[in-house]
Amino acid sequence: MNDTELITVVRDSFTGVRATTPPDQIARRGRAVRARRRNPALAGVALAAGAAAAAFAVSTSAPATHPPAQPGNVQLAAWTVAKQPDGSVRVTIRELMDPAGLQAKLRAAGVPASVTTIGAQNASCRPYPASSAVKAKVFSSTISPLFPPSQQPLATTPAPTFTPIIVLLIHPAALPAGTGVQIAARFAPVASHGAENIQTGTLQRPSLVYASPACTGS
Amino acid sequence: MGSQQRDFAEFYGTAADDCLRAVLVNVGDRDRAQDLVDEAFARAFASWRTVSRHPAPAAWVVRTALNANVSWWRRRRREVPVPDIAAVAGLAAAGDTASPPVDPAIMASLLRLPARQRQVVALRIFLDLDTGCTAQTLGIAPSTVKAHLARAIASLRDDLTLELQQETPA
Repeated sequence: MNDTELITVVRDSFTGVRATTPPDQIARRGRAVRARRRNPALAGVALAAGAAAAAFAVSTSAPATHPPAQPGNVQLAAWTVAKQPDGSVRVTIRELMDPAGLQAKLRAAGVPASVTTIGAQNASCRPYPASSAVKAKVFSSTISPLFPPSQQPLATTPAPTFTPIIVLLIHPAALPAGTGVQIAARFAPVASHGAENIQTGTLQRPSLVYASPACTGS
Repeated sequence: MGSQQRDFAEFYGTAADDCLRAVLVNVGDRDRAQDLVDEAFARAFASWRTVSRHPAPAAWVVRTALNANVSWWRRRRREVPVPDIAAVAGLAAAGDTASPPVDPAIMASLLRLPARQRQVVALRIFLDLDTGCTAQTLGIAPSTVKAHLARAIASLRDDLTLELQQETPA
């Protein structure tokens, strides 16, 4: 494969990636940017409104307020819960300071779940004796290796932290009746190497539990 | 619609997909890339009189999006943003029909490249910028752009050739 062929292969592999935002929506957002530049006081108002909206999104499920095409989707820095078109739920965890928030969002996305840090599992949860075949249908997970400093910003960041990312794909439709999922993870700093802070991320093997109001919320 | 707005709409129509792909290569997350590109285009709209005179407005958008990504992470966690290789693979495995996924092998190979090489690949391959413009956008020497591109292509070739060999056992 010569250089041109390789570049063509790489470029062609992205042809399915298309911008979906309508231009008039960009223009509206652009006018807001321009207005904030002209009147910086508006920036504070807009920021406060944005923060309030984010807090609302985090603290309540409010599925009715979400567009029907993406029920239950929420994007956060620490973790992301995203419903996939096939009904599965993709959970990306970058830190777990707020397990209760992630638990609430999973439940809102249709996954009866108990989420805790490792060692603080909910005592109300009773393990469900699922076979490995059943577990394989419900979960697929990945913990990325400790990231090397693979992405430097365009300007240097003084004290980067390298942290792994846990990705868990849950298939609620594959859950046996009357069961839910139990997730426990922990992120902890382990070393400081020069100017770099290094963390570990641990995901305890996700398991099935009997669903109950005290454990999985339903 | 004013002429400036028409110009911008035309620019958006022709450049949005390429900018999204260039940013996706760097951040590794489809939704985040879309957010960043939207924000960068909104800023371009707000400063269209200036941006339209830029030698490569699409490069301005991509750089703005990548800087926004860094700023966003700095504000919240003081961390370097890292591409989420597994998330991309997960998206592909989930069969995202709304937006056909990138071949996970190719995406993973791109995300394994060092950041600067990915930036060069994004500008040279997806925005089709020449070496000089890429160097100016990234603030590096043209010879450095050439070196990064050569190394990136060599790495991609190694990865993807291996992938093909694994797919077609002798």
